[in-house]
Amino acid sequence: MIELRDIEKVYRRGAEELHALKGVGMEIKRGEFISIVGPSGSGKSSLLHILGCLDRPTTGSMKFDNVNVEHMSEAELDAIRRKKIGFVFQQFYLMPGLSVFDNVTLPKVFSKEKIDREKAGALIEMVGLGNRVEHFPNQLSGGEMQRVAIARALVNDPEVVLADEPTGNLDSENSEKIFELLKSLHMKGYTIVMVTHNNNLAQRADRVITIRDGRIQ
Amino acid sequence: MIFLKIALKNLKRHRTRSLLALFGIATSVAVLFSILSFNKGFEKGLAKELERTGIHFMVVPSGCAHEVASLVLHGSIIPKFINMAVMEKINNLSGIEFSSPILVAQLPNPKEGRVDLVYGLEMSRVAQLKPHWLIEGTIPKDDHEIIVGAEIADHQGLRIGDSVEYPNVNTTFKVSGILKKTGTQDDAFIYMPVKTAQAVFKKPFGATAIGVKVKDPAALTGITDDLAERVPGIQIVTMNQVMSSISTLAASAKVLSLSIAIIAIVVSAVGVMNAMLMAVFERTQEIGMMRAIGASRADVFRIIMKEGMLLSLAGGLAGILVSVAGNDLIEVFVRKVMPYAPAGNMAGFDTTIALASLSFALFVGVLSGLYPAWKASRIHPIEAIKG
Repeated sequence: MIELRDIEKVYRRGAEELHALKGVGMEIKRGEFISIVGPSGSGKSSLLHILGCLDRPTTGSMKFDNVNVEHMSEAELDAIRRKKIGFVFQQFYLMPGLSVFDNVTLPKVFSKEKIDREKAGALIEMVGLGNRVEHFPNQLSGGEMQRVAIARALVNDPEVVLADEPTGNLDSENSEKIFELLKSLHMKGYTIVMVTHNNNLAQRADRVITIRDGRIQ
Repeated sequence: MIFLKIALKNLKRHRTRSLLALFGIATSVAVLFSILSFNKGFEKGLAKELERTGIHFMVVPSGCAHEVASLVLHGSIIPKFINMAVMEKINNLSGIEFSSPILVAQLPNPKEGRVDLVYGLEMSRVAQLKPHWLIEGTIPKDDHEIIVGAEIADHQGLRIGDSVEYPNVNTTFKVSGILKKTGTQDDAFIYMPVKTAQAVFKKPFGATAIGVKVKDPAALTGITDDLAERVPGIQIVTMNQVMSSISTLAASAKVLSLSIAIIAIVVSAVGVMNAMLMAVFERTQEIGMMRAIGASRADVFRIIMKEGMLLSLAGGLAGILVSVAGNDLIEVFVRKVMPYAPAGNMAGFDTTIALASLSFALFVGVLSGLYPAWKASRIHPIEAIKG
């Protein structure tokens, strides 16, 4: 589904060049549960940016559902993110003034699609917050906020869920629960890519990709 | 709708900052609204006041055009006099309904330690010259009867039947009527028959001005042209001219006050822009998240623009409310800076002006939101996943 070939990413800061990714090649198949691990500064985030169509590689090619995306315009990448990718962030990033329901359906607002209330309700139910639909983020625990974020990631029926340190801000108990939730999504057929520092959780994915110094080991 | 919710919530997150920016907008819109209201009220009040004088033009000694404006509205003293013989020539013209002499002068009142303003007029013409007057008591029938303005009556504690003595001219007057409060300069005068005034001031045929009413206002220009040709050494000032010369005098005050309002608004717009820029910078990651989950640049732009518009609209509304509530205080201030402020409540609530002020506030909100919104729309989605 996603295919990376010879991806290089170079950042320039003044005269200095930072080679974040050095010839990365990988493939993610539909229905996989992949974890990406690596020390900080290894190029993990850069890889996630490119996988998530948030950024373009300096050189190399990337195919998403057999379509090359490396030369797409920003607006085209916006559209791919909207339709094909669901993001889960370390800091949850819920909109503070919006209810759980409004937060979950926010991507629908951006994709200018009609909100299917039943479906959104079912998603919220699925992440275990059926009784919290009208609550606001400040009334939720960290684990609950991350569940809302996961429901939000799923609302546009993405091809892949990209989770960036989804348990990084949670205690071990909630980390476990969030992981179990991701795992259950995988069981339902979702493709999950999770970047994590938590080696224990990482090892429980189908496939572990380790990145070091901009290269996949 | 959701965008509006987000924008509103964002403003609430930085309550103090938003309130300060709102306060700036409110203050400047209040000033703008007040000034616009006063300007409108000023014109209206002026027209109304001139209409109340009950005459169409005045004949004065030449070179006294501006003084006429003062005479009409403030009752000022014109140091030159016109000979009443002119009246005959005026009355000989066709189309004249009546002409009536007016003599305005100062009379020392040592007992009260002040100088009284005396307005001599033909008592038989009071109803025509001052149609809006309400008089308690009677119009003077005798040479030594007077009407006193409400302010004078209040100040000196005069009642009907009281005597007022002016030892300098060796005359004592009896108060036959008290003019009820008009809210105009009329309240500050003592009115006596013009013949008495002429005798007191030793100007037996003198008049400060001659007020003329014509039968058909449409024929006014013909009549005044005719009169100017026949009688040299006089100046004819129509009420329209008075109005336009007062408006000209007031124009500079208006320009000044409007400039102050505009500067205040520009300053408050900078305040709004600053508040919004700070809010955008603080929300960099959150905006990055919105971009990551599919918001286009235009979406982000719109959300931030809505914040600016909400802030300025709320500020504008608050400003108008403050202005309406503080109407009286502001009126006192405006009267000080505006020459020839007409009497009466000038700043009534005017929907058109309120809407115009609000639209202007909104326009300012849009302008000050543009840059922060553009800045926000440039935030890269990777800001959500940094590290």
